[in-house]
Amino acid sequence: MAELKPILLVEDNPKDLELTLAAFEEAQLANDILVARDGAEALDYLLPADGPPPTGIKRPAVIILDIKLPKIDGIEVLQRIKSDPNTRQIPVVMLTSSQEEKDLVRSYHLGVNAFVVKPVGFKEFFDAIRDLGSFWAILNEPPPGSHRLRDVRS
Amino acid sequence: MIPSSPSHLPAPDLSACAREPIHIPGSIQPHGHMLVLEGDGLHLVRASAQAGEALGIGLDGAFGRPVESLVTGAAGAELLQGLKRVPAREPVQLGIVHLPGGGFQAIAHRSDGRTILELEDLPAEGARSLEALYPQLRQGIDQLQSALNLDDLMTRTAVEVRRLTGFDRVMVYRFDETWNGTVIAEDRNERLPSYLDLRFPASDIPAQARRLYALNRLRLIVDARYRPVPILARGGEGDAPLDLSYSVLRSVSPVHLEYMRNMGTAASMSISVMDGDRLWGLISCHHADPRQVSFAVRTACDLLGQVLSIQMAALDRGGEAERRIRLKGIEARLLAHMAAAEHFVDGLIDDSDDLLELVGAEGAAVLFEDGCHLVGRTPAEGVVRRIARRLVEAGHQDLFVTDSLASLMPEAEKHKDTASGLLAIPISQLHPSYVLWFRPEVIQTVKWGGDPHKPAAGSGSRLSPRTSFETWKETVRLQALPWRASEIEAARDFRNAIVGIVLRKAEEMAALNIELQRSNSELAAFSYSVSHDLRAPFRHVTSYAELLRARAAGKLDAREQHYLNTIIDAASSAGHLVDGLLHFSQLGRASLAVVPIDMNKLVAEVRRLLAPEAGDRSIQWSVAELPEVSGDPTMIRLVMQNLLSNAIKYTRNRPDPVIEVGSRTAPDVVEFFVRDNGTGFDMAYAHKLFGVFQRLHREEEFEGIGIGLANVRRIVERHGGSARAEGQPGKGAAFFFSLPRLSAAQSQR
Repeated sequence: MAELKPILLVEDNPKDLELTLAAFEEAQLANDILVARDGAEALDYLLPADGPPPTGIKRPAVIILDIKLPKIDGIEVLQRIKSDPNTRQIPVVMLTSSQEEKDLVRSYHLGVNAFVVKPVGFKEFFDAIRDLGSFWAILNEPPPGSHRLRDVRS
Repeated sequence: MIPSSPSHLPAPDLSACAREPIHIPGSIQPHGHMLVLEGDGLHLVRASAQAGEALGIGLDGAFGRPVESLVTGAAGAELLQGLKRVPAREPVQLGIVHLPGGGFQAIAHRSDGRTILELEDLPAEGARSLEALYPQLRQGIDQLQSALNLDDLMTRTAVEVRRLTGFDRVMVYRFDETWNGTVIAEDRNERLPSYLDLRFPASDIPAQARRLYALNRLRLIVDARYRPVPILARGGEGDAPLDLSYSVLRSVSPVHLEYMRNMGTAASMSISVMDGDRLWGLISCHHADPRQVSFAVRTACDLLGQVLSIQMAALDRGGEAERRIRLKGIEARLLAHMAAAEHFVDGLIDDSDDLLELVGAEGAAVLFEDGCHLVGRTPAEGVVRRIARRLVEAGHQDLFVTDSLASLMPEAEKHKDTASGLLAIPISQLHPSYVLWFRPEVIQTVKWGGDPHKPAAGSGSRLSPRTSFETWKETVRLQALPWRASEIEAARDFRNAIVGIVLRKAEEMAALNIELQRSNSELAAFSYSVSHDLRAPFRHVTSYAELLRARAAGKLDAREQHYLNTIIDAASSAGHLVDGLLHFSQLGRASLAVVPIDMNKLVAEVRRLLAPEAGDRSIQWSVAELPEVSGDPTMIRLVMQNLLSNAIKYTRNRPDPVIEVGSRTAPDVVEFFVRDNGTGFDMAYAHKLFGVFQRLHREEEFEGIGIGLANVRRIVERHGGSARAEGQPGKGAAFFFSLPRLSAAQSQR
């Protein structure tokens, strides 16, 4: 656990952002939380349009992605992440405001790792964030391929 | 009417009559003589028995001699010239010849390679030449040509023929498609009764007689009591019987003579009226006493008959055109009515006279979707529906027409007074929908000029018009007046127009549907975004309030705590409402994955799932064996879950809660029910139960957002079923939902 990877949180709504951060804080996760405020920012971080694949930055342990985002929406971000060999292995959790069937179907089609509707209740919401964090950031070992990839590059 | 060989005899005789070879009788009527001449030399080979008297020599000596040696003098030479030029078939008149036996009208034709010379007695008033008749004939033709319509034409024909011939009664007799006949016009004096409108069965003029009528357009019987004169050959030597089809003296069937005598007529003449090659009808003349009609007058009558044919065709075309125009007018009126009406069926039946007149029907029925509208004289609705069902079963996609419905469905015999004739047009491709027109049995629609019940002369005999009428009635039993070509065509045109209207309405509906789908999807998008956008603020309110409560718990007094808790409760219940709404809107859009469902298993699972809701209460469950249905298992499960959850919830104040689950199977549906003995409800509010966010209880009494039953109804209706509820306050409630039954094909899958 010496080298904890960060969690990338892509969220445009400041209240949701604050609440999610509060929930992570509550859950006492040791991971760094990187925040992107829209889809473009997230992609810029993960897959810069110009230049080589990111080497200097830390690859997130999990990406928590809202669906409704300015500029580039969550579904498209997901699609780009999952179609690029450099980012394909990073777990992506959709954390959305409502469960729309077509979003859900499309997300799973694109290879999402989990799809979570933000619960209305506070406690449920905190529980969900904590579970997400601990499962995807701590317990869920990245696939072996990603290790090798990182080893090769570092 | 004077059929040549009526057949009112018992069945065996009747068939004998129909077979009687009337064209080779072997004898002639006695008002003249016949000489049969052979070869270029015109040698006498046969002769009627008394021909010797006319020639002034014994027949025995005459046989074998050339005609020129038999008929001598100036008359003979002229006759001889004529005889050498006799055409192949049609008889020609060769003028008046004076022989030792008196003056005769000479008429010749050829038959079987022989020349047949007929010498007809001259009428008592003397022979008149065609030239002498010309003014009368001219007047007759003028009269026929100025006829206003067919009826008028027929009457004028009868009057003119009677004027020319002096017969006591002249009638125009018309055949229908099946050779039954009707007297459609008449002119007479008081010596013979009226036969106007009398009907005669086809058997009265059998096929071979009709053939003969078509060949030889004019026939005369001078005296019905005559004794036939045999045609003799030399030494009685046998030969093939002589074909007398074109003979003017040909002897007729004794049956026919009996018929004539029974009618009180001694003389008769008939002229065939042709419509192209078809025998259209007859001009039939009768006289109470024997009557000879000169060849010239007969020829004049034949000419009138031909003028009649021509005029008839002209008027008929005109009349048909007129009728078509009139029908088109009716059709246009009906269509305008239909187009203006809210529903086209209303436009059809509001204008009932037009609807009936369009095809000349006495009754009509319009069956569209589930409706059945009757107009005029029709069978009862149940019968009409059965008739329509028969049409569907028989697969009549197109116009269907019959003059005898009883032949299609024997049951129709009971309804002959209204529905012997049927003309049906299907008016929708989708539903079994029809316009049906009815006609009663023809006997009921017969109009009588004379009194058919007042017996004519000879009634009571086996051969009489009265018997003819009875026979005709038998032939047309369960028959309606045939539908005319113009009426059938009008019905067909009308059908196309209606189908056009129905199609247009369907297109309007389809357009409306598309519109509806669009607004539905707009609504769905709206409710989605509302739910989505409303949900977040509620979530934020609860979450921040919770955070505040966590941080400030120690600093707040009881009342502040209460305020904060209320904020959290209110926001979170608003959030749940939005969730409920979102779910409800999703249920309406999600596609159904229909498979057979084991309802017993499903109910057991739901009960296990809901066990925590019952807590430690002991509920008495009574679950019957349930049938399999087809549906979307996730959704049907939600239905059961809602109903059972409600039952558990609303029985919680009962000391002895009982929940019953059962079903009832109808032919098309299975109805399930969940009954409890809980709080129940007032039936006055039953209609509100299944609405969105409808609650019949205060929230403090029973929690919930009031969307469960709305979901139940939406799911059940999407499955093609329905939901309802029964209840009584304090006694309990029962919720029913029906699902279409599993068809045999589905259950095998």
